Amino acid sequence: MQPESSKDITDYYKHLSLFWTDIIHLMSSKPQALTSIGPMRAFAANSKKISGELIEINDELMGFNQYLTEYYKQLSDTWTDAQKKVNLKAPDVPQDVEQIEAFKRIWIDIFDNDFTELFDSGKFGDNYGKLVSKELELTKHWNNITNVILQSVNLPSKEEIDEIYKEMHSLKKRVGKLELELKKKEIKKNAK
Amino acid sequence: MQSESRIDPKIIEEILKFSKNVIDAPNLVVAPDEISLEVTPHDVVQEIDKTRLLHYRPLTEKQHKTPLLISYALINRYHILDIHPEKSWVRNLLQQGFDVYMLDWGTPTSMDKYLDFDDYVNGYLDSYVEYIKNESSSEKISLQGYCTGATIATAYITLHPENVKNYIATAPVIDGQRDTTVISNLAKHMDVDKMVETIGNMPPEFMYYCFSVLKPFEQGIEKYVKFFKNIDNKKYVDSFIRVEKWLGDTPPIPGELFRQWIKDIYQDNLLIQNKMYVGGERIDLKKIDMPMFTQVAVGDHLVSPECSMPLHYAVGSKDKTLKMYPTGHVGMIASSLSQKKVLPELGKWLAERS
Repeated sequence: MQPESSKDITDYYKHLSLFWTDIIHLMSSKPQALTSIGPMRAFAANSKKISGELIEINDELMGFNQYLTEYYKQLSDTWTDAQKKVNLKAPDVPQDVEQIEAFKRIWIDIFDNDFTELFDSGKFGDNYGKLVSKELELTKHWNNITNVILQSVNLPSKEEIDEIYKEMHSLKKRVGKLELELKKKEIKKNAK
Repeated sequence: MQSESRIDPKIIEEILKFSKNVIDAPNLVVAPDEISLEVTPHDVVQEIDKTRLLHYRPLTEKQHKTPLLISYALINRYHILDIHPEKSWVRNLLQQGFDVYMLDWGTPTSMDKYLDFDDYVNGYLDSYVEYIKNESSSEKISLQGYCTGATIATAYITLHPENVKNYIATAPVIDGQRDTTVISNLAKHMDVDKMVETIGNMPPEFMYYCFSVLKPFEQGIEKYVKFFKNIDNKKYVDSFIRVEKWLGDTPPIPGELFRQWIKDIYQDNLLIQNKMYVGGERIDLKKIDMPMFTQVAVGDHLVSPECSMPLHYAVGSKDKTLKMYPTGHVGMIASSLSQKKVLPELGKWLAERS
């Protein structure tokens, strides 16, 4: 498998990494089995996941940087435009305390208005949403890497803990509703 | 040869005074961590999971018959309704003879990530309403919802109208499509599914970011400049520190609740269209047929009046009042205006119906 375009590079390296970690794992699995209850075997068995995640993180980082650059560009452009408006409205350097106060008021009002307009705009919301989404993707990969380490020491993964939380929530909900029903019946009974 | 100085000596004086105030500040002002925001005496009368029901001790000999339960918002904590003896919403109501309960939603942890609207509406709120009915021997209670607490209260009333005698909706989050605030813009562009699946509960840090983009220069710079300038003004400084402490303390929002809130209110706008479902049941705003009092702040930059007002027109109540006040989201509940105008008007309306 050879990369045909730059788009395939990530997939190529992912494949390359998986191929070699799989082959090395197969070649070395028998001697490793001697220490099959130790953490290193579990870690080695799952370590290919880490290299896959790291390659994907690299890919996500590119997208993240793109949206982060756009985020700061929007802030910087708004700052420049707001400062121009301030310069037009208050061209003279303030000389006394009253003038400084008036200048500060103009500066804050214009900057607050312009930045609120930016934060309220579709282009900001769209880019910010994508930026947060990329951050979440990075978090997901980090979670996956952490899961490999947790499993190597026989600790439950995030998904397994979530399953317990979900089950507990469902049980608590059922018990809570039953208790409330009982209380309501008791109150009705006492009222009679 | 001497150069002529053009700097006004008053400017130097101001800078020196400001610097002195900054240096003196730690000696004059308590640290936020050193103060308690619990102002009006109360008892914790019931606890379910991490939530608590507070019952305030009466301040009058006689009280109105119908108790009032306040369903506070999911963001920040209930302390803002009792932030200072002179600006306390709760204390004012107690002084007007109302029997006041407050719902503290507590601090959800990772294990609470599956709590949803159903748990809040048909679980916690319903349990506390039943408790109050039982304790006060009242068949019905008055319910006040503030901000997102009003979204929960609204859903509750449509499902359990038989328990509520009067409804007070204070800056309720209802019509997300009409909301013109920055928060609404961010919410509409959020991949909430990915967020909840990846991080579970909505972390406080994200909420702080959302707040920081609201009037960033007035709130981020000017507010603190004013604080140091007024460092000798005890009343101002005390109030400032209390509000700052309150602002800096927001609990996470349970993931599933957050998911439904963002999707159903802001992205799909289901609540105002009577298409939202809670615990498998449809929320039909027409079922709100008891007396209702809606309070809206014209300068609200967290929940715009356009987001709150549609509730007034959507409900089935015949006895309904809509009041608009020339203030902001917090100003409506914790300011001298709220003490002089908002609360007396609410008290008069509620007393006639309690």
